[in-house]
Amino acid sequence: MFKCIAMLFLASISLGAPAADDARVKALLKQADDYRLAISSGRVETEVRSFKGGTLDKTRLYAVYLKPGRRSLVLFRTASERGQKMLMLGDDYWLMMPASQRPLRITAMQKLLGEASTGDIATMTWSEDYEGTVSGEETIDGETCLKLDLLGQRKGVSYPRIVLYLAKKDRHPVQAELYVASDKLAKLARFRMGEVDGRRQVTVMTLVDHLQKERSTEVHYLSRTDKTLSDDYFNPAFLVRADLTQ
Amino acid sequence: MKLPVPESPYRQRRLLGSVVLLLIGLASVQAMAAEDAPASFGWTTRVIAESRDARPGSAFAAGLPLTGFGRDRYRIEQELRGRAGPVSLLLTATESGQEGSKPAGRFVAHEAFADLDIGGERFSVGKKVLSADVAYGFRPIDVLQRESRLQLAPPPLEGIPMLSWDNFSTDGAWSLVIANPGHQRRGAAREDGSVALKLYRREGMADIHGVLRHSRRFGVELGGAISVVPGEALELHASLLQQRRGERMVPQPDAAGGAQLLNADAAIVLEALANPRRALIGGTWTTEAGYSLLGEVWWDGTAPDAADWQRLRRQSVQRAAMLGLPGVPAAAVAGASAASLRLFDQGNLLRRGALLRLGWSAPASGWSAALDLLGSLNDGGRTVTAAVAWQGERLRFDAGLRRYGGPGDSAFGQLPDRAAAFVGFSLAY
Repeated sequence: MFKCIAMLFLASISLGAPAADDARVKALLKQADDYRLAISSGRVETEVRSFKGGTLDKTRLYAVYLKPGRRSLVLFRTASERGQKMLMLGDDYWLMMPASQRPLRITAMQKLLGEASTGDIATMTWSEDYEGTVSGEETIDGETCLKLDLLGQRKGVSYPRIVLYLAKKDRHPVQAELYVASDKLAKLARFRMGEVDGRRQVTVMTLVDHLQKERSTEVHYLSRTDKTLSDDYFNPAFLVRADLTQ
Repeated sequence: MKLPVPESPYRQRRLLGSVVLLLIGLASVQAMAAEDAPASFGWTTRVIAESRDARPGSAFAAGLPLTGFGRDRYRIEQELRGRAGPVSLLLTATESGQEGSKPAGRFVAHEAFADLDIGGERFSVGKKVLSADVAYGFRPIDVLQRESRLQLAPPPLEGIPMLSWDNFSTDGAWSLVIANPGHQRRGAAREDGSVALKLYRREGMADIHGVLRHSRRFGVELGGAISVVPGEALELHASLLQQRRGERMVPQPDAAGGAQLLNADAAIVLEALANPRRALIGGTWTTEAGYSLLGEVWWDGTAPDAADWQRLRRQSVQRAAMLGLPGVPAAAVAGASAASLRLFDQGNLLRRGALLRLGWSAPASGWSAALDLLGSLNDGGRTVTAAVAWQGERLRFDAGLRRYGGPGDSAFGQLPDRAAAFVGFSLAY
């Protein structure tokens, strides 16, 4: 009898372990997300600086509106891109070019090939899109980190696999290895922390391109506000309207 | 294929004045539609030079001095684009010149409209680009804007005077559009007064578009288009339009005698059509390495067919043969020959067309390139276009080459231009 109870106990532990691990990873990702975007809806002003061989090549400005349900609207604000908009609703994407004034449905691959990969600026959370395991601990720049092996749970994610390093002490993101669909390491992301409105937040994400070695990108989060838009703005047909200043 | 069309400065000024007055009034009533910063404008300067290589021994040679074919040209555009409160503007001042002609200046309000929210209902009023359809090379349901596609270095689109009532739900939208209010039938179909209902529905991986339009010229036009993204790299699309009435430009009948052949007004005639259709299917494949392949085939029941182009060829040869005959004024031959070239002045020249476009882009470096092959499945005519572009911080560079070819009696084989090249620079502030 005692033997049976012991076996049932062990079985329940072994069955429950993956679920407990999943929940732990989910919680870790949620904590990390809070350092990138602490609001569920809002507007993030972003400046993307592209470097070639260590020299500043281009600067791009974007306003990103985010809403729950993996909805984001990117307004291109640089002079040479003025009027462009990109809408992302889960795994579906639309691009509106000012010259044609038609919302065009685009594929995940076309989104990935966009200027500065708008997916990098429009997706600011991991917990909704990735699941995985904690595979160990490593020290990055003197910081003890938890190493998470993450797999995308949606077909439209920019990077189907991510190896994420979170600081063990407070779970802030330190580094991420971003892999494309062919499982090549595409970019290495580093996160710089700072004080924003009394909160510790990611202020700069640096992306070192591993496919084009001489290139790197800095994504500066200039401001985060809880300014929201009505649901109409997240309808592809609405993109032809000009209710938002570019 | 666009020939220069003279604009009426008086009409331009009157239209612009009306629109501006309307917008000022609306803006004063409703400055609150804006949901963020009150104003933002950008300025772009563009310089575009085109070189045209005339086809040697063209049967239209006598008429070419009266047209723009075979002439090098340039244009310098100053563009103001932006928004103040609910009012959006796209204005250009253009200086253009053509080999053998004096430079000319032109100011155009391409867009001047207000997006309004009145009592929870959304409206747009003014002059606005109303492009539609999911296709690239040919757009069957683009019944309002009627954009000429595949031009080599096109100027910005010019909007349509309009009033629309727009409604948006979670996965759909509809718009009731009154285009060119107060107009009946005008010279070009895009200038006709019309009422249209535009529908949009998102169904999973598919976008579905519908349009129902009524105008005096075409009666009822009913169309639909779909764009589907079945995978991460593949997009498929299709578009279909059914018109109650249609019309197409064709050369005058062959039975016409010599005098009729020299009648410039009769060189091209409009033929009425009952229930014509337009249809297109296509798709795009994009790779991780930055390459994309687009393929489209279409049917346009309102475009000239192979027999029409063959007839144009016969008549142009007959006119050329009349040059120098006793009693035949050279000016009459030239005028009729030039007038017959209006057959090229329409958005789509091909009854059955096919487009293959291989594109490449490397956004990090700013470079992109494309190779287009446009072919007629009716007459064997074709164009090959190679283009390259570079986008920097503010500066953009574009360049391209196009070659027209095919049998001598095909549309592209008898086009008076044999090749064209362009180079363009733009600087955005």
